[in-house]
Amino acid sequence: MPDLMNQLRRSPRKLLERDGHPGPGPGQLALVMARAGVGKTAFLVAVGLDALLSGQKVLHLSLDSTVEKVRDWYDDVLMEMLRDDKKVDLYSPIQLRIERRRHIHTYLGNSFSPDRLSESLKLLGEVMDFVPQVIVLDQMELEGVDPVTVEEVKAQAAKIGAELWVACQTHREGPQAEPGHLPPPADRLEEIADLAFRLDSHDAKVRLHVLKDRQQMLDEDLHILLDPQTLLVSVGL
Amino acid sequence: MKHQIERIRNIGISAHIDSGKTTLTERILFYAQRIHAIHDVKGKDGVGATMDHMELERERGITITSASTYVEWGDHHLNIIDTPGHVDFTIEVERALRVLDGAVLVLCAVAGVQSQSITVDRQMRRYKVPRIAFVNKCDRTGASPDRVVQSLRDKLGHNAVLLQIPIGLEADFEGVIDLVEMKAIYFRGSNGEQIEEAPIPDEMRELAEERRAELLDAASMFSDELLEAALEDQATPEMIYDAVRKGVLSLDLTPVMIGSAYKNKGVQPLLDAVNRYLPSPEEVPIEAVDLDHDNAAVELKADSSAQTVAYAFKLDEGRYGQLTFVRVYQGTLAKGDTVIRTSNNRKIKIGRLVRIHADKMEDITAAAAGDIVGLFGIDCYSGETFVGDGPRLAMTSMFVPDPVISLSVSPVDSTAQDNMSKALQRFTKEDPTFRVHLDPESGETVISGMGELHLEVYLERMRREYRADVESGAPQVAYREAISRQAEFDYVHKKQTGGSGQYARVVGHLEPLDEGEYEFVDKIKGGNIPTEFIPACDKGFRSALDKGRLIGFPIVGVRVVLVDGAAHAVDSSDMAFQTASRAAFRETYHRAKPQILEPVMRVSVEGPGEFQGAIYRSLMQRRGNIIGSTEDSGFARVDAEVPLAEMFGYSTSLRSDTQGKAEFTMEFSRYAPAPRETTEELLKKYKGQTAEEND
Repeated sequence: MPDLMNQLRRSPRKLLERDGHPGPGPGQLALVMARAGVGKTAFLVAVGLDALLSGQKVLHLSLDSTVEKVRDWYDDVLMEMLRDDKKVDLYSPIQLRIERRRHIHTYLGNSFSPDRLSESLKLLGEVMDFVPQVIVLDQMELEGVDPVTVEEVKAQAAKIGAELWVACQTHREGPQAEPGHLPPPADRLEEIADLAFRLDSHDAKVRLHVLKDRQQMLDEDLHILLDPQTLLVSVGL
Repeated sequence: MKHQIERIRNIGISAHIDSGKTTLTERILFYAQRIHAIHDVKGKDGVGATMDHMELERERGITITSASTYVEWGDHHLNIIDTPGHVDFTIEVERALRVLDGAVLVLCAVAGVQSQSITVDRQMRRYKVPRIAFVNKCDRTGASPDRVVQSLRDKLGHNAVLLQIPIGLEADFEGVIDLVEMKAIYFRGSNGEQIEEAPIPDEMRELAEERRAELLDAASMFSDELLEAALEDQATPEMIYDAVRKGVLSLDLTPVMIGSAYKNKGVQPLLDAVNRYLPSPEEVPIEAVDLDHDNAAVELKADSSAQTVAYAFKLDEGRYGQLTFVRVYQGTLAKGDTVIRTSNNRKIKIGRLVRIHADKMEDITAAAAGDIVGLFGIDCYSGETFVGDGPRLAMTSMFVPDPVISLSVSPVDSTAQDNMSKALQRFTKEDPTFRVHLDPESGETVISGMGELHLEVYLERMRREYRADVESGAPQVAYREAISRQAEFDYVHKKQTGGSGQYARVVGHLEPLDEGEYEFVDKIKGGNIPTEFIPACDKGFRSALDKGRLIGFPIVGVRVVLVDGAAHAVDSSDMAFQTASRAAFRETYHRAKPQILEPVMRVSVEGPGEFQGAIYRSLMQRRGNIIGSTEDSGFARVDAEVPLAEMFGYSTSLRSDTQGKAEFTMEFSRYAPAPRETTEELLKKYKGQTAEEND
């Protein structure tokens, strides 16, 4: 089953495998930018699912959606993936394995803070022996957030050896990216982010650009087309 | 009164326990002048609210059986179903939702959206029931309608918008400001029956303007006319009513009303909102199936002159025999009419037809499409359809979950035996999730249901209503057995003991079936088993599923594929093929790697944030698989899947782990393979039992 699950992986996260790590690596922060409606949440779910299929433990943090909604999202993308591979009969056993390695934690009504996260991580570790290798943080309004908050979240992830993925909404209106920099409001996190991507909607597909790779600022089209519904790679991997 | 269909509202009142829905219903009846005095749940006067019409409900302060009642409000006719708040009784809620066109979701202004509200909301979504929300208990310390609206958005994903704001809160709660008509409403008189309208207090005007703007923003999404008018500050109440109504009917908007039923505030405007925003029966699409045409879908019309189609959604044992609550979906049901009960094609004459007001009733001569009424003198089960002349239609069946827990019951003497039989017969007719069977081995009567509380209530009802003194055994989990891989069979049944012999050979394989309990596939070619014996093979295999060989529970999820076989011109018979098939199954079963399946429940536990760790622990100790957790305003909710076998006594232990501050709901999720230790334990126990029986 583990090999089979690994074969199903079709998230762009697979591209980032280095030095034997199935993703960007422990303690690293990957930032995903897109305009509203392009599919940041779907992309993060695809990232989370990729980690789960490669055998890692995932903590999915949401600041807006209910646990049920996030869970449905994972289930839908998994089903889509299996349907494409004509392996729908494997849905139940894979879903069960995934659920044992995933924890969804939602902070509603502005209840999220690095301290709350620290408490949650402590509880999950102590009570459930759950130490995530990948943390996905979705629906954080980065515009109003102090970069120090993100830095602290990154430090929490690094402390337990987890990689961190954060989504960031960019805008059509307002200030645009300075040459060689990330677009606002992500520019304030430029120093903290190890990797940065931009999702662009184009001709009913989503294209993936890399804007930062460790120390290097780039603006490179990876020539990867993603399915706009699932944000899984449809062409290019 | 002649009821015009556009003025009928069939509504449910659904909520978490203790949100005050019974008190609210009581007030509705009072204001609509169906009752002349107000009693409260667990009231000091010992009378109890009118809708809690069973003694047991009065004593426990909870509503178990939904009672239907009707009221007239303004020029509208409302049929109200009061629904229970315990998840163990969700079949009652599901039935109510099946026949309702709209609902009022009652929420506590202090506790907000609680776990039961989440379950009920999920059910409402399943039946596409438009709803309005009522934030009750605004007089309580800690009341915050704003927080409740936010939690409606966050936890239930509703596009919730306030139509009113409170004038004062907690002990100072005086009345409401109507944001549509921009006026203050106070509820005067000893029972809040005198409505006093006044200008908005000056100090609240700014807040009211701000909230009205939010309302207009939300409502404009459903009306271009309102959008344009709002931009020019020309929005009229009618435009807002129309837009909100559109949003409600498309399930895209949840208007929120506020009040305190206990303090007699806010109930009358809520009734106005029911009339105004919830749909009439003709606005809700209803489908039936044509039983004579392969269950083809037939759209019904709420037309009183069309073929009669009525649906029995609830039975009650009244003073005058069985009272059957029916919803008339199409046509007219009149006293003296003859209708067909489509389950068995029998003709039924409509005798007494009544409107029901909790446990009082009034006789009527006819009920038209869209109405909910009661029938006497009809023998039927809950969930049956009655039709007039024309196609044999049935309302699409309701989702009925299988029972997951059972226990044995034995009467203490012969009087109790008779009374118990009567009670069980009644309960099974009333509640499809409550089942009864006789264990052929122990000779004991076994009752099954959806949870501990579900069965406990029936045991209590047996004792109180039927004076059946019974002893009950320990609750048992409804395990299942299933095969996990393919296994071939080739079995010959041959017997020659004088007279005509028996001969049958069956060849094929068993394989796991993902969905469903059993499937039989006939792939015999060339008539090696003559066609007339194929049904006997099917019957033989099917009969082998009743009792698995691992722990004696039914086997599910098996596909039998019959590919070959042989018959003898003289010695083969139905009996021989049945025996061969049964034996083939039993012989092959162990090679198909059977496993034990256990019912897994979906559990939501909610409590103050400081108990999050204790809640995690309590679920982990019970083999729970924690799906996720939610933090909100100092509260935490943990969602998990836990085997039912581990949930016995959970309410007691959760209470002690959390100082009584956390609560949980539970509903069946799925069957899943039991882990090795549980399997070994169950195998050992079964072995012990069978050895004892053989001694």
